[in-house]
Parts: sequence; structure tokens; C-alpha cells
Amino acid sequence: MNERITMRYIAENLLLGLTITIAFLLVFESNLVLPVWLQSFGRLHPMLLHFPLVLLIVAVILEFFRFSPANAANDFYQNFSRNFLLSGALLAAVTVVMGLFLAQEEGYAGDTLFWHKWTGAGIFFLSSALYFVRNANWYRAPVARAGGSLLLLVLVLGGHFGASLTHGNDYVFAPFKVDEATVPVPFEKALVFNDVILPIFNQKCVGCHNADKQKGGLLLTDAESVMKGGKNGELFVAGQPEISLLLQRIHLPMEEKKHMPPSGKTQLSPEEIRLLALWVQRHQSFKQKLADLPVGDSLRVLAAARFQPANADDIFDFEPPSEDVVTELNTDYRTVSFLARQSPALEVNIYNKSEYAPRLLEELRAVRMQIVDLNLSKMPVSDQDLSIVATFENLRNLNLNFTEISARGLHSLAALPYLRSLNLSGTKLNFDDLHKQLGTFKMLKSVSVWDTELTGEQIARLKKDHPNLNVIGGFVDDGNSPLKLNPPQEGNASTVFDKEIALRLKHPIRGATIRYTTDGSEPDSLTSPVFNGKMTLTEPATIKAKAFKKGWLGSETATFDFFKSTYDPDSLRLLYPLNRVHLAEGAETFFNKKLGTIGANNPAWANFWAGVRDNDLGLVATFKAPVTISSVGLHYMIEEDTGIFPPEWVEIWGGASEKEAKLLAKVKPRQPQKGEFESLQSLAGTFKPQPIGYLKIIAKPVEKISEQNTQKGRKALLLVDEMFIN
Amino acid sequence: MGEGCFRTYTPKFSPSLTLSSPNSMHNAQTEHGFTFNRRRFLSSMSLGIGGVALGSLLMPDLFTGGEGTLDGLAPGIPHFAPKAKRVIYLFQNGAPSQQELFDYKPKLRDLQGEEIPPSVRGDQRLTGMTANQASFPLVGSFVDFQQYGQSRAWVSSLMPYTAKIVDDLCFVKSMYTEAINHDPALTFLQTGSQQGNRPSMGSWLSYGLGNENKNLPTFTVLLSRGVGNGQGVYSKLWSSGFLDSVHQGVQFSKGEDPVLYLSDPEGMNRSDRREMLDNLSELNDLSYQEFGDPEIAAKVKQYEMAYRMQTAVPEVMDLSKESDDIVKLYGPDCLVPGTYAANCLLARKLSENGVRFVQLYHQGWDQHGDLPYEITQQAKDVDQASAALVTDLKQRGMLDETLVIWGGEFGRTSYTQGKLTADNYGRDHHPRCFTIWMAGGGIKPGMVYGETDELGYNIAHNPVHVHDFQATVLHQLGLNHEKLIFKHLGRRYRLTDVSGKVVRDIIS
Repeated sequence: MNERITMRYIAENLLLGLTITIAFLLVFESNLVLPVWLQSFGRLHPMLLHFPLVLLIVAVILEFFRFSPANAANDFYQNFSRNFLLSGALLAAVTVVMGLFLAQEEGYAGDTLFWHKWTGAGIFFLSSALYFVRNANWYRAPVARAGGSLLLLVLVLGGHFGASLTHGNDYVFAPFKVDEATVPVPFEKALVFNDVILPIFNQKCVGCHNADKQKGGLLLTDAESVMKGGKNGELFVAGQPEISLLLQRIHLPMEEKKHMPPSGKTQLSPEEIRLLALWVQRHQSFKQKLADLPVGDSLRVLAAARFQPANADDIFDFEPPSEDVVTELNTDYRTVSFLARQSPALEVNIYNKSEYAPRLLEELRAVRMQIVDLNLSKMPVSDQDLSIVATFENLRNLNLNFTEISARGLHSLAALPYLRSLNLSGTKLNFDDLHKQLGTFKMLKSVSVWDTELTGEQIARLKKDHPNLNVIGGFVDDGNSPLKLNPPQEGNASTVFDKEIALRLKHPIRGATIRYTTDGSEPDSLTSPVFNGKMTLTEPATIKAKAFKKGWLGSETATFDFFKSTYDPDSLRLLYPLNRVHLAEGAETFFNKKLGTIGANNPAWANFWAGVRDNDLGLVATFKAPVTISSVGLHYMIEEDTGIFPPEWVEIWGGASEKEAKLLAKVKPRQPQKGEFESLQSLAGTFKPQPIGYLKIIAKPVEKISEQNTQKGRKALLLVDEMFIN
Repeated sequence: MGEGCFRTYTPKFSPSLTLSSPNSMHNAQTEHGFTFNRRRFLSSMSLGIGGVALGSLLMPDLFTGGEGTLDGLAPGIPHFAPKAKRVIYLFQNGAPSQQELFDYKPKLRDLQGEEIPPSVRGDQRLTGMTANQASFPLVGSFVDFQQYGQSRAWVSSLMPYTAKIVDDLCFVKSMYTEAINHDPALTFLQTGSQQGNRPSMGSWLSYGLGNENKNLPTFTVLLSRGVGNGQGVYSKLWSSGFLDSVHQGVQFSKGEDPVLYLSDPEGMNRSDRREMLDNLSELNDLSYQEFGDPEIAAKVKQYEMAYRMQTAVPEVMDLSKESDDIVKLYGPDCLVPGTYAANCLLARKLSENGVRFVQLYHQGWDQHGDLPYEITQQAKDVDQASAALVTDLKQRGMLDETLVIWGGEFGRTSYTQGKLTADNYGRDHHPRCFTIWMAGGGIKPGMVYGETDELGYNIAHNPVHVHDFQATVLHQLGLNHEKLIFKHLGRRYRLTDVSGKVVRDIIS
């Protein structure tokens, strides 16, 4: 069979191809990303749709009478009707594609769009299906008429939904409806009841509480009936929303029968509830003007939001920049990026002070119409540079925090027609100049002036003179609620030393004075010595220190324990194993000068603590050449409630060599009481000074915790982090 | 049937409608009856494929799966105009007790010591720590609450500074999660899955939005810990999962070397480093041309960024130039590196320098026992600095574009864990409700959203699931959580997995 390529052949194949394309577009609609040049194509949808509409209606009528004998015999009729349907379906396809493109644009969403989309696609699928089956054996007059009627129905519905999209939902019946205050009341003239409270009732309550229904004998249509209440009594107790019937009903759980609005109906939003409560609290005045409420009043703030357009998003009506230019403008220190996909607007950030040059702004002239956000915070921008910024006509937000501009330089910016927010914190603002300038900015909504020369009174004056401008002052310490300083810190890597150590007390706050004691007494702000950076310890000591500064409260006392360990053994050996979880650095632990802190069971801290529970802690330390020693100390932790106890006893054995070793000292430390706070302690066994080459230290963990303690009867854990040989 | 009738099926005047042989009427009829023959079918198939191809021209992402470009550092573009440009997430690790901080439940005090009604507890899965507990006595908060600001939000006396800024905050009291233990819950909040191995929220943002400042990482992490019972925080929480490794969080630690291995080794100066990088990049280019592995390109970019970070990081980390007012605002600890206050101050500085996502973790909120003492300390650590951060962003005019989030991984039970004594008790993990707050970034200020029941055990109104929360955060940054996807191992992944609904009521 050879086919001749004719117009109709092409058209039919095109129809088939478009069917697939449209099905595909519908399935993957959410992935659609539309290039800008196709947007105009989509916008032709409202124009083009009329053609397939008419063609298809005519085609359906022709289809109706196609099987009547006279027409069936008429070649022209047959040919004509088929071509009509074909062109209608093809145009429908193009319309559907356009519609899908148009729907991608901002501002189209919701149920109506959903129904319009699917009825529209339905028109196309139905008409092309009709076209392809109209020559089948079973396709006779009844089928043709049923199909045609269905197509007509879908056409009407699709058309209706489309019209609703452009003209509004109740467009058709609007002329019959009573005109309900369609003119929006401006904020300045709005009454609290009429324009805030009543609309809530109208939206959510009047469906049942109207003159026709009057459920519960309640009418909520006007002030009078609202005051009257229903058969359960009055709605309000003036000033007491908590016990007012209206709010009680609203706050009942959803399952309660009396909860209002009843379950299944649209509920009040938290905001609406809050508005009603505030209104009742203010004695539900009916005459109160919204604008007369003080600025910052909760009711005013909440209600004001309802007078702003719901979608305050910007609409940018300028051309998008060339993507190549944008790419080129992006450097390591300047980011130029699109605000959003398919948006023509750009935001620009410039970073790194040392790389800044006015050139970076100058180059932006290439996209001067498209920049809406510009961040120059901390850059050395001068007043002169602002004249470049002044050419960025569509600028909305400008961040000039901590730049080198002055209020005088702002005058060039006043010409920017859309400038909405201006950040001027940390700049050299002069009140008189700024006060003068601010009046010339038309659209400005907010300006930040924190950390400038401006005083509190001056900021208050700016706020007063520019009531519609949000002047952001920020935090300035008034000195009335002084804070407590944090305690001083000790800067040495370790407080364990061999011969001497320089005390390195310090404080993070500039200008804080540190006073200290070495005798264990509390330092005070008058008599204790001031730390001057020159203090050297040669003996173990407990340093207590406090910080003081004008305008602050003195700190808590910080305590630093310094330990002396004159001799470092040449070799170390453990006699018995350490606990599996308290290995620390093994035998090295005891002479690594790393002190642990309380909280041994926490992995980050546990590493400094070596521990035993089931056997003694036994350590042998040797010196190549014997040294003269008179004491051996241990540093350990006590945590009574978790069973971390001091050793039961410690024995120090030693001599010039292993053979000569004998018991030099045995110490029994105090055991903690029940409920005693956790602490770090040390003990020392002292003996007559003698030459030591071999040293054996045995510490025995408590085998059975005393009956008086929390963990009675258990074996105690012994944790040691450091030993001191002197 | 007559001739006329016949013609209704195959009108004679259709010379080429189809495949009919013009000579054989009969043949034509059958073929029209079935419409297609093989040749027609095949040629139509090609049309169909053509149709699909035409459509797919408009869907660049469909067959590539993700939106990632080869160059992982190229700035992403938000799906729609964002309200927030950056996020600072003050994660209170360990789960702060809502009953002691923001969710005021006076009824619990009235019922102190009484058993929680089984109807309230239901068949909830309990943790191993209380599952075997014989009784579940309710316990009221040891602290008092008061209402503050115009929003009249309830705040306990443990949070005096936060109380002062309630009109800037949006409390969500009806958060709930699925996990009952720290690690899964934390991982769930951060990555959208309890098991891990998925990209963290910050990585998703880095992937979706790209970096704003090419001298600093897009996603940074700061750690601190309080005196309370601590729970682990692991680097898997800021991993980029299957996303390109450039989206991974970079931890800034205290001490002299905040970013590990960033500074040049001794004896190497900056020009040597530059020369080395130039030569290295030539070699990398060669191997990229040979193998085409995108990881090579990513690596070159990372070397370059590290080079720029060498000057940017010390500047950001330098707290010595902060004014006295700032020190008083954040509290004196803000100058002690590694504290929560210092991290809050740093978070502001990083955010100011264009870091998209600053993730703080403050450990120590896991009060199973000794709650009154521990939570008082924890609250002291974070209260002033958290509030200061919000105030500080505001006074710089940055709060509108920065979303601050404060909250833990789940809540705590209304009944006590362990023994209830006159002045001491504990609370176990509770996934069914917890409170977080958000500020700035286009979230409604001065709002309290959601409500728990009288016993603070179940949600009464407006539940917000973790995925809803994540969807809302992404939405504020101009990202559609259903479109921010990455194809990996044959499926498409999202931060919100397969659910999540933007909480429109809290968006201004």
C-alpha cells in the first residue's frame, strides 16, 4: 500500500503526535520549566481558544446529522464535516498546550484551574478520539450523537471554568447577588466591628446564624443582633473573653457537639480567634476606629494585616538580563544571582573588604535595571559610590551596614522609586541630615540605624516624624541592669609543673580587673591583690580569682589548683590491668600532666582518667639515676552517688633499687558521706627524704561501699588521673 | 445495504485518509474497521516518541533526575522568590522539656503525683528507660510561667531574655516526631530519615541555593555543651549524603585552628600556595579532560575555596572587634570560644557573611533525672544568647531575611521518670508533642501555633510533623520541597521523603 502525503495525512499525524505530547505534558506538568520566550505563546491562550470552541460546536452539529440519508450520500457534507472536526481538534490541541504554559505563570492555582485544565484537556482528547473512531463499524448515529453531546457538555464546562478564572468565580450569577460592600475600606477609615469582626462572622458563622436559619436563635448579621445573643443567652461578658459564651464555644474541643463552627464547617483561624478575643476584651465597642488604637496595640497590629493585599509579592515588569552577562559578573567576591527561577530580578552580594573597589559597582551598570537586592555590608563604600547605586532603578533592599557612607550621601538614593528597606547600622549618620533625607524617600518601609551616633531621643523623634516608617534602633546598654562577669580563666596548658610556673590569669572581657588570693580565702574587690601578669609559683597552691569591671557585677570565684611534680620517672609499668573503659593512656596517664574533670563517664572527658574496680591499681616507676624523694601524691575523683570513691588505702614502696624497696608510707583517705557533692581530691604519702631508683605505688579500690552510702554493698570505682613525685 | 450506506463508512472522496487501497472498497472497509496496520502503527509510534521528545524539551530535569549541575558550586536558583535567604538553626540537643520552658500546663501541678490516665497515654511506644516503670505519676513544672508581650505568649521564669522578645517569635507547640530516641530523632529532623546516610538540611539548601559568598562554605556547624546530661552529636548529621561533597557541612571549632587543615604549614607563604594550586589545577584539568569525573572539578573548586577561606575565616572568627554593647547583649560568655553564646555571635557573623545555613548544637538537654537543677543551668546557657541573636539580626535589618530556629529533637513526658520527690524529678523522651520557636525569615512574629491537651501529652490542635516543619523551612527559602530532589540508586530523594505540607498559617 502506498500512501500519498497530503495535507490531511500530515494533519492527522500531527494530531496523533500532539495527543502524546499533551498526555506527556499533563503527566509531568510539575517538571515543566518554561523559557521566557514561550511565555508569550502561553498568553495567546485566551485569544486562540475561541477558534476551536466554535469549530468544535459546528463539527458536533454536523456530526449529529451525518447519518441522515441525504447527508450520508453527500460527499461534500462528509468531507466537510470531517475536516471541520479535524481542524477543531488540532486547534484544541494548540490551545491546550498554550493553556498549560500559561498555567505555569504566577498567580494561577486552585480548584478552578484544576477543573479548567482537565475539562480543557478533556475537550481535546474527546474530540481527537471522536475523529479517530468516527469511521469504525460501530460508530453510528446514536454513538455519534452521544459522543457529540458529551463533547458539547465538556465544552460548556471547560469554557465556564476558564471564564471563572479570568472573571472570578461567581461572575455568571454576580448580577443577581446583593452587592456586599465590594469596595475595600481603607485602613484609616476602618471600624473594628464593621470591618474586622463582622467580616469574620460573615465568612464563618452567618451560613447558619442568618435571618433564614437562626440556629440556636442566634443572628450574627449586624451589631444589634450580635449584642442580643441567642437562646443560650448573651454572647459576651464585657472585658472577659475567658467566660464569654462566644469564645467558650469556639474553644470547646472539636468532638463536642457545641463546638463552633461545627465540625465539618470551615474553622476559625488562630488569628481570627485572637481578634475576637481581643475585641471582647476591649468591651466589644461597635464604634471604635481601628486607626485610633495606639500604634503597636495588639488588636491594631493583627487587624492591620488584614488590610494589606494578601499577595504583597513584587511584580517585576522589567526585562530579564542576559544570562551571559550575569555569569560574567559573578566573581569570587561578587555574587550576582537570580531571585528565583523565571524571575528577571537579581540580587547582588559583595564580600571581602580588601577586594572592594568602586569598579565592582560600576560594572553592575550592565544589569542596573534588574538589581532589586544589593548587599554592601562592611564594604568601604563611600558617598560617591552611592551615585552608582542610585542608577539601579528597581532596587528594593539596600544593605549599607558598617559602610563609610554618611546621611548626606543618601540624597542621591531618594530618587529610587521602589527602595523599601535601607540598612544603615554602624554608619556615620548625622541626625539632622538623616531627618531631612528620610522625608524624601517615598516607598521606604524600614530603616535600621543601630550603632550610629543617633541617641535614643533622636531615634524616637525619627519614629514620631515618620509614623509609617519602621525605624530600627536596636540594643543599647542603658546601664540599669548590669550583668555578672564570667569568672577569670587560667591560660597554662597544664597546672602541673616541675620547678616553677608563671600564673597566667586572663579574662575575655577587655578591661576587666582580676583579683586573687593564694591562701584559699575568697578574693574581694578592695583588698585582694590585682593580678598584674607577674606571679610565679614554686610550690603547689590553690589560686582563687575573681573578675571586676565598672558597669558589671563581679564574677563568681574561679579556683585553680596547681600541683608540683618535680620528678618524671624514666620508665613506667602497670602491675595489674586497668578497667576496659578507663584505659586512658595506660601507665603514661599518671605523668602526662593532663588533669581530668568531673564527669568521668562522658567519653570526651574519660580519656584523662585511668580506673580500676576489680583489682588494685599498681604502678612501678623507675629512675635511671636515683633521685631524692620525700612524697608521692595521687589525684582522684569522688562521685558518691555513682560509686566513684577514693582508694581504701595507698601504699608507697620504694628504694634505691627494686631489691632495696620497702614500705615507705601507707595513707588512708577520708571516705565520702552520702549525698556529698562530686569533687576532685588529692592525697600524698610522705616519708623521710631518701634516694629512690625504684618506686611501687599500690592503691586499693573500696571493695564494699559502706551501708550508709547510695551504692551500698557494691565495689567502688577508683579513678586517678595524675601522680606527683616530689 | 445500498451503496450509500456503505459510503458512510469509507467515503469515496477520501483519497488518502489512510491506508486504503483506492481500488478495493472492501479492503478499505476492513482496514478502517481496525484503523491501524503494522506500518501505520510503527509510523505512529515514531510520532508518539516525537511528541514525548517535544514535551521533554521543556522539562530539563525530567530525565536527569536531579537539578544538580556538573559544577556543584554553581549557584542554584530558588524555585520562587524566597522570604529568607539564610538559616540559623539553634539545635537544643537532648530534647528540652517543653513543660518547663514554653508549654504552660497548670493542670499538671493540680494533678501532681497522680497516675496519668491510660486514655491519655494510649498505646504509646515507650523507651527502654521507662517501659518497665510500675507507675507513671504526673509531675507539674517546678517553675512559674507568665505571659509576655502583645502576643501574650507563656514563657517560664527560666527564660527571662526570651520572654522579652516573644513578639518577634513564632512558637510552634504542636511539633511531633516518629522517633523515641535521640540519635534517630535528631537524624530524622536533620535529614528526613531516621537511619541517616541522607543529606542534612543544610546540604539540601546548599544544593538548592548555591553559595552566596564564595569565600566561605555554604553550610557550617558549631558545637557547644552545657552541664546537663549530654547526648552525642556526630559528623554524620552534617554529611552531604549522596549529594556532591561540596555541600557537606564544615565544622568550625574553637581554638586557634577553627577549620582544620586550613592554615598553611610553617614556612609556606601565600604566593607559594598560589603557585602550587595553579600547577595542581593544571594537572587536575588534564585528568578531568581524560576521565571527565565531576569529582575532579569539584575538588579543584574546593582547593580554590580553601585558599580564599584562608583570609575570610580569620576575619569572621575574630571577636575582638565586637562592641561593648554586643558583649552585653550576648552576655560575657560570648567572648569565651566554644560556648553557646560565642557560637551564637559567630552564627550571626557567618550569616552576615553570606553563609546560608549555620547549624548550632548545644548538648546537655537530656533531663531523665535531676531535671530542676540541670534545666536551670541549660536555660542559663542559652537564654540570653538566643534572644540576643534575634535582637542583633533585627538591629542590623537582617531578621527579615534570616530564619532563626530554636528547638530540640522531641519533647519530654508529662509523667516523671524514676522517683518523684518533693524537689526532684525527671522526664523521659516524648515524641508526641514538643515546642520549638522560629523567628524572622518571613515567619509570622508574635504568634503561638498549635496546642497540646491539658496534660501536655497529646496534640489538641494543628499538629506539625517533622516533614511539615522541613517543608516550611524550605518554602521560606524559595524551595518547593516536592521539587528539590536528587536521583540516587534509582529513586528520587527529598528532604521530606514522601510527605510534608507547608504550614501556611505561620507564614506572613
